[in-house]
Amino acid sequence: MTNIKILGVMIGTISIYTWIANAIPQIESVVPEELSFSSDVSEAELVAAGGELYNGGAGCTTCHGLETRAPNLLTGYNGEGTIGTRCGTRVPGQDCKAYLHESMMNPMAYVVEGGFDPMVFQARVFSGAQIWALVAFLQDQGGVVTVTGADVAAAAEADAAAPAGGPAVASTDPLEIMRGNLCLACHMLNGEGAELAPPFDGMGSRIEADRIRRGIIDPGAEIAEGFDHLAGSMPLTIPDLLTARQLELLVDFLAGQGG
Amino acid sequence: MLKRSRGRWSWLQASLPVAIVAAIGLIAIAIEPLAAQGYTPREYGDFPIIGSRAAIWIAAQLHLFFAAFVLGVPMFAVVAEAIGIFSSDDRYDKLAKEFTRLLLVSYSATAMWGAVLVFGLITLYPGLWGYLSEIFAPSMWVYVGIFFFESFTLYLYYYGWDRWKKGRAKWGHWGLGILLNLWGTAVMLIANSWLTYMMSPPAEVTPDTAPGMVQFWSAFANATWMPINIHRFIANIVFGGAIVGAYAAFRFLSAKTDEERAHYDWMGYIGNFIAMSALIVLPFAGYWLGREIYEFNQQMGTTMMGGFMSWLWVVQAFLIGVLFLAGNYYLWIGMGRIPGAERFMPYTKWMLLVLLIGAAVWATPRNMIANRAEITAMGGQFHPFLGVLGVMSAKNTAVNFMILTTFLSFLLYRRANKKAVVSWEKRGTTIQGALFVIAAAVVLFYGVYGYFVPSIVRIGFSVYQVLAVITAIILIVVIDMLMMRGAKSRGEIRWGEMPERSQYALFILAVTFTWLMGLMGFARSGIRQHWHVFEVLRDTSVDAATPALGYASIVISVCVLIFLSMVAFIFWVGGLAEKPVISGVGGGATGSAPAARDQEI
Repeated sequence: MTNIKILGVMIGTISIYTWIANAIPQIESVVPEELSFSSDVSEAELVAAGGELYNGGAGCTTCHGLETRAPNLLTGYNGEGTIGTRCGTRVPGQDCKAYLHESMMNPMAYVVEGGFDPMVFQARVFSGAQIWALVAFLQDQGGVVTVTGADVAAAAEADAAAPAGGPAVASTDPLEIMRGNLCLACHMLNGEGAELAPPFDGMGSRIEADRIRRGIIDPGAEIAEGFDHLAGSMPLTIPDLLTARQLELLVDFLAGQGG
Repeated sequence: MLKRSRGRWSWLQASLPVAIVAAIGLIAIAIEPLAAQGYTPREYGDFPIIGSRAAIWIAAQLHLFFAAFVLGVPMFAVVAEAIGIFSSDDRYDKLAKEFTRLLLVSYSATAMWGAVLVFGLITLYPGLWGYLSEIFAPSMWVYVGIFFFESFTLYLYYYGWDRWKKGRAKWGHWGLGILLNLWGTAVMLIANSWLTYMMSPPAEVTPDTAPGMVQFWSAFANATWMPINIHRFIANIVFGGAIVGAYAAFRFLSAKTDEERAHYDWMGYIGNFIAMSALIVLPFAGYWLGREIYEFNQQMGTTMMGGFMSWLWVVQAFLIGVLFLAGNYYLWIGMGRIPGAERFMPYTKWMLLVLLIGAAVWATPRNMIANRAEITAMGGQFHPFLGVLGVMSAKNTAVNFMILTTFLSFLLYRRANKKAVVSWEKRGTTIQGALFVIAAAVVLFYGVYGYFVPSIVRIGFSVYQVLAVITAIILIVVIDMLMMRGAKSRGEIRWGEMPERSQYALFILAVTFTWLMGLMGFARSGIRQHWHVFEVLRDTSVDAATPALGYASIVISVCVLIFLSMVAFIFWVGGLAEKPVISGVGGGATGSAPAARDQEI
């Protein structure tokens, strides 16, 4: 009898936990669908594929489904409407399509005011076709879809041409290298760039050249004081986009930025 | 004659894990020439009915359960043996030996599940196995070597127990116990590097990096390696203590004599004490691990805490609430057998209230993925009232109050049958009370203040809360030890006079710890989502999607059931080989130990 009681308590406890875990909402993490479109892909196909990505494998709703981490793109934000209605006016001179595409390719470029952290979406794990499908879906949220099959085809060509990275720019001018690799989207230098990450101005007086080199090669290894909240945000692909010579030119240039 | 056959049986048990590890090594060597001939293995294999993912999941989880047990119990044994040496109390020595005996069979089970896991990886995930073994091959051989040393140290430790019992030889024997733990920890550190590499590969490793080009040490000592090591080390102690408690409870309920009941009642208390003591610091290790995951990759962090896994933390909070409640309940019931404990009993209802409120706050969700219907039903993205309690300020405050309350339960239990004789007893008690109040005030202050500062500042507050609680606990314990030196006894603890229902609390603790380990294993592994190695090696199998919690809970429950069934079998087998030595603790009709020696811990 004692053994049966023990067994009952154990199985009962396990059953309760299993029941609770099954009673709560069931959310599966699906795999982002590999997309392959021809140049005559229809608008509806792009929007549907983007919607599936947005609500599934791309993991967008982790932040954009809440009010605290990122603006809600589908239900409106701050009385400005859904993303499709406001994307064209976010950056003067930039249309909706270009703005959304840039936001995903360079997540640190546009951070909406309101205490939000920079977007952590990492475009490097998505293909060009997937990115354009997401753009089409977001445009469709109250706006006009202008993504075309030509955009997707161009992205596919670019993916095929540079499957393993390679330098982003061929220049040996440090400033050009920084611009070409979008470093100034977050770091400030001589009034150019953004104030999100530690400024390049005076960097040489704050840290040694070795530390600068490590910061580029392994951005997560040492986080500058006061920038803990940006840990994990700097793209890890930067070293793959520089030649060895470009890396050393950059390190020398930044180490030479005195106070 | 009978004795000899038992000895042979024990050696057979003992030799099994070594034989299994040797067999795995030979198979690995046999596979090598195939690779040399240019043979390319398929990426994935199939497993009938349940599929490859469930099969490898069950094998890995069961290997981990047993590994945690065989790492946790030696820690338990070596500490118990040390207490026995320093206090000259033979009870602890016998307790340590009783558990080391169970280790022999448990080692076999660990090695068997390890073999199932390795063969599972080779046959079901050959691509991943090939990738990992190309990076970690040197550490795999070191692992096998250390396992041999560990096994033979265990044999010496157990079979030398009675031979090296006195004087210097006893110290040497205790040294073997330390060595056993060192080997075990080294094995754990190596295995942890493999699995943490899958979570947090170094930044320079990309999908295009050939495994042969990955630098060994940077892969080994990756971002989450050390936090996982610390977290698992503490969790193994908790787990070992909980299983010891369940074993004692089982023996208590089936005991035939008062002496047996007294012995296993005492053992259950020790198991619960160790499990709960380590549990108190486990959340801090978990916090560090979480922080490192965020630092490694913010997207991974948000997936874990607020993405598809967000509901998992509600279930985890419920389980931890059960642990705290069951652990305290066991102590409060135990006070019934301690003369003098009556004076503390009125406080238990208030402690229960704090624990219930703390558990409820901890389980309050906030950042959940919700659909429009759910948001509408809730009245907004956050519940108008409960949303306030869902933030980390409230949760950290709640868990620190639960820890302080549990510590208070232990303190009252420890002091129940003692009467201090030092002249400064009143002052000491007042200082202890003041320390409790100060710690609670610090926790509450930062909990409330956290609502008025940005999140980046708020995160730092939890450190102050933790420091306040830990400092108070250490100071209170030191004062208590000094105050209770030479204390008078209010009466002997009546070991064995424990209601049966208290023992079921120990079973619930063991089952809950085990289930919680399975759940956290799913969380750790699941945050990689559709990657074998996060953002480096993609899972392209049919099981690449990460399942929802409902499915995961079924797999976890199956693993827990298999594990507990096997542990029950091991306990039974352990009893067949040699009857446990009843230590004759003070209690019931048999004991006469003074209060000061009733509870060294």
